[in-house]
Amino acid sequence: METINPDSELDETCNVNGDCTLLMKNQSMDLNHAKNIDDISTPSELKFDEDFEFEDPDVTAKRKEIEKCLENPNLVNLEQWQSFAKSKGGLIADEYRRRIWPMLVGVTQDEMTDPPSLDELSTHIEYNQVELDVKRSLKRFPPGIPYEQRVALQDQLTVLILRVIIEYPHLKYYQGYHDVAITLLLVCGDRASFPLLCRLSYGPKAPLAPFMQATMQPTQHLLNYMLPVIRRADDKLADYLDKAGVGTMFALPWYLTWFGHSLNRYSDVVRLYDYFLCAAPLFPVYVTAALVLQRAPEVFACECDMAMMHCLLSRLPDDLPFEDILVTAKKLYDENDPTDLEGEVAALERREEEARRLDEERLRQRRAVRAGGGRGAGRGAGRGGGRAWRLLPRSPFARGAVLAAAAALLAVYAYYRPDLFTRKRADGADFEGLLE
Amino acid sequence: MTESTNEHIGGLKQKKVFKIIVLGDSGVGKTCLTYRFCEGQFLDKSEATIGVDFRERTVRICNEDIKLQLWDTAGQERFRKSMVQHYYRNVHAVVIVYDVTKPETFHSIASWMQEVESHGLSGSPRVLVGNKCDCGTPESRLATAYAQRLADKHGMPLFETSALLDSEYDNVESIFMTLAHKLYSKQPLRVISVEGEPGYGVVTLPRQRRPPKSSGTDKCLCS
Repeated sequence: METINPDSELDETCNVNGDCTLLMKNQSMDLNHAKNIDDISTPSELKFDEDFEFEDPDVTAKRKEIEKCLENPNLVNLEQWQSFAKSKGGLIADEYRRRIWPMLVGVTQDEMTDPPSLDELSTHIEYNQVELDVKRSLKRFPPGIPYEQRVALQDQLTVLILRVIIEYPHLKYYQGYHDVAITLLLVCGDRASFPLLCRLSYGPKAPLAPFMQATMQPTQHLLNYMLPVIRRADDKLADYLDKAGVGTMFALPWYLTWFGHSLNRYSDVVRLYDYFLCAAPLFPVYVTAALVLQRAPEVFACECDMAMMHCLLSRLPDDLPFEDILVTAKKLYDENDPTDLEGEVAALERREEEARRLDEERLRQRRAVRAGGGRGAGRGAGRGGGRAWRLLPRSPFARGAVLAAAAALLAVYAYYRPDLFTRKRADGADFEGLLE
Repeated sequence: MTESTNEHIGGLKQKKVFKIIVLGDSGVGKTCLTYRFCEGQFLDKSEATIGVDFRERTVRICNEDIKLQLWDTAGQERFRKSMVQHYYRNVHAVVIVYDVTKPETFHSIASWMQEVESHGLSGSPRVLVGNKCDCGTPESRLATAYAQRLADKHGMPLFETSALLDSEYDNVESIFMTLAHKLYSKQPLRVISVEGEPGYGVVTLPRQRRPPKSSGTDKCLCS
């Protein structure tokens, strides 16, 4: 993809008229994928990797080292592969990744078995959802890929996903899982990707396992580590994000797909996968934190508003310095172990819970006003009350008491001055009298 | 997190930002529909939406610029429960989308309506949109009258459209403009009478309530 990748100058300001999520995505997409679906049917090579005209000498040296290790992979220990994967540039090229990724997660040759046919799996309950998402994954394929080849790969992708959730029936498919699966498939092929994806999906330390539970609650919880990590590094930034109330949703696709869904450059995606495949399960969350920290100037320049901030952050520019971001993320991880952050995460979740409860209460109040209260006065009181709401004490009981008192006062007042509520005309007449 | 916005539902005029949430099953075309409205074109490499996407467009009503914020949500059930909740906050209007070629997506509307109600939005302007009317054969598409009945039951206007067809752009436009006008005039959606309001404001509402091409509700069940 990066063969025609532009030096992105995509402006991230999103207050302009029109779309601000997909516009930029689309612009960069068009540059990356100059061809449309019909053009894809013209044969060309399935090729992602850059043609290096000039290569960093460090990278060239690393290449040589990797190649040497690959000559006798059995003599090389896991730490060596991990070191290649994590250090600058990662595993460099897909030809190395193809062989090293399985070793990083401990997949052996014996586990790489031939997949069943799609027909055998198409009765699965999740088949339709998987098929729907796979069909829409065009953007993830190399530009210029021949039509037949793309369709074949998409079938392989569907099979791969279904195979895993058939193997582990308690794991639930989520939208975004296909983005992880396609990355593995494109790099390692269908035989190796199955055990690889299984390893990532199932087990106590499997990084994707939390995403595949019955609900998204575990995912939400883990993503809640992002803001405390940011706060540890940059208090002001965390305050600003908090003030905007942007939440964590903008980072959800990053985490669920290991950025596969959100980055336009294939080389960035596989570089991150090199690292994630041998990192702690929560490491991607630290990368999201590092990424937001990296973009702090943009964040501060953005209107402190939930929508604007969500919009700014969810769109990733094409020129992010991922090597730096990974270094920052590692530092953040080393300095702020997840266990250290549990207290902050719990506090954050308590605040969210409280906000949710208040929301629900507000909703109930509004409903009660609408259902029971008089049309005119009740409505007005409801609206004004909404605004005055935040002035009330925080405790629900105290609030209830204040509201009850207010309602009682209103009733007494209405009793003594019914003219204010019912006899507008009479009031008018009185005023006329006064004016005379 | 804490209070997300400082605007208040009752005080629409203060900020002139209308927040519209787009709901519906996976693959019915929510993303394409919002993209069509905001960008004026069809998104030909649409992907599954993970979580919530945001798009906006400024429209002019009664010589006033109004910002429409469209929150495009993931269709997969698992994202609905805990994740999308947050985005219902301060929503002003709701668009529920189904795919006219997939009856199951129409049947889910009941559960979407429930969800809308549970967030206290049953009093807010809502529209029902049958998307992909360019697809399939007339026989295979869900009958307009059938959809209309449901729309009437919930007091929502029904639109049948296609985010794909350029010729349908006006129709897509009128879906969101209907909502924008309703929100602007702060009337319940059902009272779309031209009288009583500054007529200028309601000029571009040609298609509400009645499906565009229905030639009589009981005669023709397929548009």
